[in-house]
Amino acid sequence: MLALMSIDTTRRRPARAPSAPPVHPAYQRRMRLADTLQVLSVVSVALVIAIFLADGGAVRFTTPADALTSLGILSGLVGSDLLLVMLLLAARLPLIDRAFGHDRAMAVHQSLGKPALYLLLGHGALLIGGYALADNSTLPAEVWTMLTQLPDMPLAFVGLALLVTVVVSSIVVVRRRFRYEAWHAVHLLAYAAVLVSIPHQLSVGGLLRDGSIQRYYWLALYAGVAGSILLFRFIIPTVRSIRHRLVVAGVDRVAPGVVSLRLTGRGLRKLNASAGQFFIWRFWTPGLWWQAHPFSLSAAPGGDTLRITVRGLGDASAALPTLPTGTRVSFEGPYGLFTERARTSPRIVLVAAGIGVAPIRSLLESASFEPGGATVILRAPSPGELYLADEMAALCARRGATLRVIAGHRPAGVDSWLPVDAAAAGITLASLVPDVGEADVYVCGPRRWTDAVVADARAAHVPTRQIHYERFDW
Amino acid sequence: MRKRASAFAALASVAVLAAGWELGVQAGVQAGVLSPAGTAAGTAAGTSDSSGAASPGGAPAAAAPAAAAAPSGTFTGSAVQTRFGPVQVSVTIAGGAITDVTALRLTDRDGKSVAISNRAAPVLREEVLSAQSASVQNIGGATYTTEGYLQSLQSALDAANF
Repeated sequence: MLALMSIDTTRRRPARAPSAPPVHPAYQRRMRLADTLQVLSVVSVALVIAIFLADGGAVRFTTPADALTSLGILSGLVGSDLLLVMLLLAARLPLIDRAFGHDRAMAVHQSLGKPALYLLLGHGALLIGGYALADNSTLPAEVWTMLTQLPDMPLAFVGLALLVTVVVSSIVVVRRRFRYEAWHAVHLLAYAAVLVSIPHQLSVGGLLRDGSIQRYYWLALYAGVAGSILLFRFIIPTVRSIRHRLVVAGVDRVAPGVVSLRLTGRGLRKLNASAGQFFIWRFWTPGLWWQAHPFSLSAAPGGDTLRITVRGLGDASAALPTLPTGTRVSFEGPYGLFTERARTSPRIVLVAAGIGVAPIRSLLESASFEPGGATVILRAPSPGELYLADEMAALCARRGATLRVIAGHRPAGVDSWLPVDAAAAGITLASLVPDVGEADVYVCGPRRWTDAVVADARAAHVPTRQIHYERFDW
Repeated sequence: MRKRASAFAALASVAVLAAGWELGVQAGVQAGVLSPAGTAAGTAAGTSDSSGAASPGGAPAAAAPAAAAAPSGTFTGSAVQTRFGPVQVSVTIAGGAITDVTALRLTDRDGKSVAISNRAAPVLREEVLSAQSASVQNIGGATYTTEGYLQSLQSALDAANF
């Protein structure tokens, strides 16, 4: 399939080039990768249904009991497949990060959570119903029969209960009541839920009977997903953290509660980090080691130093300004597509609010553009909440970028990313940057504000592929 | 998802589903080739006797004297098709009594069927041995297994002129 797609596009490109405006070749490559991954995940769902059909499943719908049982098997197959897709999306696969970015992958992961749960709950309910009809027994009696007479069913019920716990704990309202670490610990139960549900699939599921091809396919799926999780979530981050020996080399005060951390280590170039990317950091001090925080690079990575700029937000990250130098730092990453790799056009517009300036600053440092080809917009509720403003001014002067600083509170009740008076005067992204339609727009700031900027960019007819933003609320 | 990706995903999915369907139909055709024989045997058994001579394909056994006297030996019943797989039993008769029933094949379409038949078979055997006939009670939760078991048993008994 891969070969087919690439042949298809290489043939078409020369014919297209003269008519359409040039699109960055890196963008084309990325979209081909994204297309391939999406097609593969859709086909994986079709494949499990096909396995059911190949086993003669299509004729097992003639009686109500058969129909319920068949639907139950189907929903179990599709639900499990979606669950595996979700696990892969959260496994930090480099391919997925490169194609969609970590935040987009996690958004898809989240959106699959409820459908997968409903399918698996349906799987249980339909099979209990189908079996009860076939056996002519009541639902509770049937559940009891399943638990006592069928192999591995108690574990399967435990798995389903765990899955319900995981999904319910992730519903926004519930999630807000817990601290991130508690929620995350509950979330890791999903691994246990998947593991304990495997035995009954192999023993009770006649479709995946011993020696059949589909059994090997199914096992290969699980092995592939488990291998990816182990490798990319645990082994690689651990090995990198040990190998690069990252320590805090200096803490520079930027503003009250805001600091830049300089981190040094060995052979950091081998990480292949790009400006605009983030790592998930863990600082090994008594109060902080149990928390991991995603922070973006605030300087283009080079040599053996990485720099992040962070605002201590509540809890333990408020302790970051007092971090002693020499503190060991472990990390996962680099991640994210808020980088030069996402570029589609030669012009660039960088829009930041508050501490969102961090990745914007590193992008400004190393993004490719001609002098005059870049505009930087810095937003803050008040001038005191503009961070790294001096550094940004110096960088803009050096690289020939236009800098606009806009301070002031946003109007209440209106979705504007600009201050009250500017919004009232009808100022928009298009009026601030007339050629925004031909530029890549990078936006970093709080969620609601980012949404407002993105909406404004869309209103200015900036094509979707030119709008880049990253969320950190996954 | 881009249009091209959606189109490609839809196309590939349809192809995969069609292949699965085709394989399923072929499997069904193969099963169909086999099943008439099975059903024929089943019905022959159901209508009892008539050409009972065809059935006792079973183990050696002392030839059943057609008319009177007590038959003895091992007689294999016909394979009865059920929704959860074929069921076939053989019966051992000695001195005019049923001394043993062996399940040759039990419902095994999936793990559940296997569990059910494993539970039902010993119970059925006991009941048949004590009732000395195929008219015993249905085992709760194992209706299909029971029906297949007793039908196959009856065909074996018919063959033995028991």
